[in-house]
Amino acid sequence: MYLLLLPSLVMILLVIAYPTLYGMAISFREMRLTRPGLGGWIGFKHYAGMWSDPVFWVALKNTVVWVTAAVVLELALGLLAATALNRDLPGTKIFAVLILLPYFLPNVVAGHMWALLLDPRLGVINDLLVRVGVLQTYKAWFADPNTALAATILVEAWHGFPFFALLLLAGLKSIPEDLYRAAAVDGAGVSAQLRLITLPMLKTVMAAAVILRVIGLVNSPDLLLILTGGGPGDATQVLSLYAFQTAYKEFNFGYASALSVVMFVILMIFAVGYIRLSRITKGGGDD
Amino acid sequence: MATLSIKDVRKSYGSVQVLHGVDIELEDGGFLVLLGPSGCGKSTLLNMIAGLDDTSGGDILIGGRSVVDLAPKDRNIAMVFQSYALYPTMSVARNIGFGLEMRGVEADQRKRAVDDAAQLLQISHLLDRRPANLSGGQRQRVAMGRAVVRDPELFLFDEPLSNLDAKLRVEMRTEIKRLHERLGTSIVYVTHDQIEAMTLATKVAVMKGGHIQQFADPRTIYERPANVFVASFIGSPAMNFLPGRLVPDANGVRFAANGVSVALQARKRPADFERPVILGIRPEELKAVARDQASVTGVIDVVEPTGPETMVTVQVGEQSIIARLPPRFAGRRNEPIFLTVDPASVNLFDPSSEQRIDI
Repeated sequence: MYLLLLPSLVMILLVIAYPTLYGMAISFREMRLTRPGLGGWIGFKHYAGMWSDPVFWVALKNTVVWVTAAVVLELALGLLAATALNRDLPGTKIFAVLILLPYFLPNVVAGHMWALLLDPRLGVINDLLVRVGVLQTYKAWFADPNTALAATILVEAWHGFPFFALLLLAGLKSIPEDLYRAAAVDGAGVSAQLRLITLPMLKTVMAAAVILRVIGLVNSPDLLLILTGGGPGDATQVLSLYAFQTAYKEFNFGYASALSVVMFVILMIFAVGYIRLSRITKGGGDD
Repeated sequence: MATLSIKDVRKSYGSVQVLHGVDIELEDGGFLVLLGPSGCGKSTLLNMIAGLDDTSGGDILIGGRSVVDLAPKDRNIAMVFQSYALYPTMSVARNIGFGLEMRGVEADQRKRAVDDAAQLLQISHLLDRRPANLSGGQRQRVAMGRAVVRDPELFLFDEPLSNLDAKLRVEMRTEIKRLHERLGTSIVYVTHDQIEAMTLATKVAVMKGGHIQQFADPRTIYERPANVFVASFIGSPAMNFLPGRLVPDANGVRFAANGVSVALQARKRPADFERPVILGIRPEELKAVARDQASVTGVIDVVEPTGPETMVTVQVGEQSIIARLPPRFAGRRNEPIFLTVDPASVNLFDPSSEQRIDI
């Protein structure tokens, strides 16, 4: 009977297991396209090098800050949007489509659009902020190390919150209306209903959405690549972008692969820890 | 415990009026059943009593106090929902005590109240479980516990038994009746099941299309229905309806139709003889008799023994009627059958208005 599984198994091994394992294997080798003669096994040399690589530590810190802040903002905005869309009011369907628009845009397009909007010379946002008196002069948001990371986080939050809105809306729709009616009779106000009914019942959806989003954010460097390229300096350098640049700018595939393996391990630890902490596998609980 | 007064209560959604000036008075400790088919407005009325729906007009008084402008939590009511509406992420104990928790009752006092309610409903052993781990009947008890624990002035039940299987439904019905007799709290109970209405209620409001068709005690509703709708809605099998005419008789007045001749007890001689009427006879009021005593003559169509009784479908002229006869009834299909009926038990209705006629 297991023979029937063989074709799918072979397929999975070919397209998932082989590339993954091959990628891991590269991290133990010297593989620079600029110096092909250096090939050969070097053991944990890349990992040891990472330990003393200041850019790695900055990128790791930035990844944590960038992903955490973006996910928190996206979750909050998504919950707000989902709650607003969950009402049976006229026009909510149009708003549902409008709110999803940012998510429909490819990262590259969204990145270029915001780069233009925040442009230090002709950006409309700078112009508006100067007109209302918040700013004295136009500001180069992505060129200032103090604002670059925050600015990219805001752009990412704008781009990613519809993902949470969509999933949380589906979660909200699955909460029976009778629970809120019972709570109203029991004397629970709006905030108590949110805290004691809505959020506990959205826990599973939220946990799944957070895990998916964190994996997506940790792994995709495209928005930062377009907005800042990791700069100024290393102010917005994150692990995925660092690995990408190491591989395709320096052509140092061995070290890039080691960086990717570290990201892989970090994500595994995060996902397992998060699922355990949120207890979603046991049916949830707040008592 | 409290009285409930519903005065000229109306409800519209846009231009669609779903309740048309409903008036109901329920005595202190009474059990009111709102009975009717789907879409008759009974659940809307219940929601308006609870404060979950706004009224478009009229007034609702609980214990003499107008509540239409109060939030549900301030009406001193407790409600049991059709879906039970138990909070899935909370334990049974917390579900039951949730209303007290929201009202800021101290934890130890809350625990005592929850324990008492659980004992009353025999669910003390379930207090630590989650609703997902309970059977339908247990969930029903928890939902009732959540209502009982608050000791409200008025209980509201929204079709609480409709999600249970037949056997459990009978058990829980008895349980609700026992609970009512023990606590003495006034209850408003919505159902489309006439057996629940008959067994539980002290007062029944039969509703259709947003109008109260009849508001009376269950016996009156059963024996003296106000119109054809009420007569057909209450009773299983339903009342038999035979169109015919009133004709003068040596002793007063008689109902006559093809195969039917029933001498009626008229208090006065009706002025308009020969008028068309509909005669309503409950299936259990028909008795099989000898040919010379018959007031209804027909041919047996179907014989259905159920054990305690036999349902016999009889073709009378063009009409088909059902008689509920004793278990050992021996007639067979296509045989003639002779039936009689107690004149005091029949009902007359006007064919055009379908309203009851008293003669």
